Amino acid sequence: MKLCEFIRPASLPAARDNLRELGAKGMILAGGTALHFMQDHTPVTAVDITRLGLSFIKHEGAFYNIGATTPLADIQRYRAPRWAMHEICRRISTHQIRNISTLGGNICRVFPWADLPVVLLAMDARMVIYSGKETEFPADEYFKTQPAKRFLGGDILTSVKVPALQAHHGFGSIKVVRTEASFAMVTIAARLELDGANIKSARVAAGSAIPFPRRLPSVEAALVGREAATAVFQEAAGKAGADAPWRGREGMSPDYSRHLAEVSILDALERAATFARGRAE
Amino acid sequence: MKQNPNTVSFTLNGELKTFATEPNEKLLALLRREGYKGTKYGCGQGTCGACTVLMDDRAVYACLLYAMQAEGRDIRTIESIGTFDKPSELQQELIQGGAVQCGFCIPGMIMSAEALMKAETTFDDDIVREYMDGNLCRCTGYEKIWAALRKVLDRQESAGVQGSGASSHPES
Ligand SMILES: Cc1cc2nc3c(=O)[nH]c(=O)nc-3n(C[C@H](O)[C@H](O)[C@H](O)COP(=O)(O)OP(=O)(O)OC[C@H]3O[C@@H](n4cnc5c(N)ncnc54)[C@H](O)[C@@H]3O)c2cc1C
Ligand code: FES
Ligand code: FES
Repeated sequence: MKLCEFIRPASLPAARDNLRELGAKGMILAGGTALHFMQDHTPVTAVDITRLGLSFIKHEGAFYNIGATTPLADIQRYRAPRWAMHEICRRISTHQIRNISTLGGNICRVFPWADLPVVLLAMDARMVIYSGKETEFPADEYFKTQPAKRFLGGDILTSVKVPALQAHHGFGSIKVVRTEASFAMVTIAARLELDGANIKSARVAAGSAIPFPRRLPSVEAALVGREAATAVFQEAAGKAGADAPWRGREGMSPDYSRHLAEVSILDALERAATFARGRAE
Repeated sequence: MKQNPNTVSFTLNGELKTFATEPNEKLLALLRREGYKGTKYGCGQGTCGACTVLMDDRAVYACLLYAMQAEGRDIRTIESIGTFDKPSELQQELIQGGAVQCGFCIPGMIMSAEALMKAETTFDDDIVREYMDGNLCRCTGYEKIWAALRKVLDRQESAGVQGSGASSHPES
């Protein structure tokens, strides 16, 4: 991308008007760090949305509402009961990147290695999009295809509502990397709801070793109604091969990626179950 | 729609300044052409940390930041930290500890350490690692840099120096 103009709208409606007027020439700019990955030289006008009051974290009843321009560092540092988003944010890139790159930037144009879509799919989050009025989209719908397509008409992601973990809910995420700040070889996130010793519901999602982040339905189906025990987790993780086209890269065969995913699913499930156990509120 | 003014104004090392720029220019390029050459160009892609500056007291990579994103912000570079004649406490420790070899990574390291000392009140190893995780050194193996920084942090901690405590983000 080559920025030819840079504008700072004063309000959300003004930003949307700017984007609609600019059409294909307009480009939302949040932290601006992903523009580095878009190496073509298409001339664009940057519409800076970082001064519109969209940086916040609010506990609103059953949800944590996180503003779209909230830096990943703020999400990482936030602590509250039944909150689990900090773990994965600490694992994204470096301190300097986390200080500037935003939640919205990570999930509005999804790169295959993006970590937050995986977590938001498992957490059953809701994306709030402004198109003159605000509309909520469940994660399953939002991440069905590349979300960038949704924003071509000038709409803007304003916040993400992440459910606060309820009693007997647990969450676990695993990001496997070669070196601390590198992109994931595989990212797995799992949310379990327990009913006594058994699993009442499960959401398991994966990213990085597959073309696009997604849920793993066969893994989930192998968990529901069964005991939250290692043998069951192992058996469920073994279904991952059927759910996604695991890709090899940089000295990793597709089989190795799938195996890494299976091991990571097992770890994520163990973590989620430990988190959920004993949480009566 | 506001026309692009092709200038950017921000506080640089305590002084309000206005610079001619163009939308595609990175802050790193602007700083270096304006003579702030202590901020280094290493990888140019957000990996090495040599270009680290503070924006509103937070460490950021100047190579990834468009200069216009700095409008109205408070930018601090290594030039604000110490001079050859009057090095900062950390700079003195780095020199005394033999922690500087080629020196290319050092300005960035110091700016990350500055962000740490401005924000935090206690400095356990995990938090230090977190603030320093975006700075690479190709020469030293880190140990002497770590030891020099640890000395300064331990002194600050025992003197009870107060940062703003950014790690305890209040629920807003
Ligand atoms: C060196 C490096 C390493 C990284 N490692 C990782 C990693 O390991 N894991 C990971 O997940 N990420 C990683 N990232 C990605 C980083 O998290 C993204 O660059 C970042 O999330 C993008 O956020 P941003 O605020 O900078 O977005 P921008 O660069 O400003 O925007 C990204 C895209 O989203 C659009 N957009 C932004 N906000 C909105 C909005 N509110 N509504 C509609 N559209 C919007 C923009 O138009 C643009 O197309 C890395 C980045 C770098 C540079
Ligand atoms: S030059 Fe900016 S991170 Fe390397
Ligand atoms: S001293 Fe040479 S890169 Fe660190």
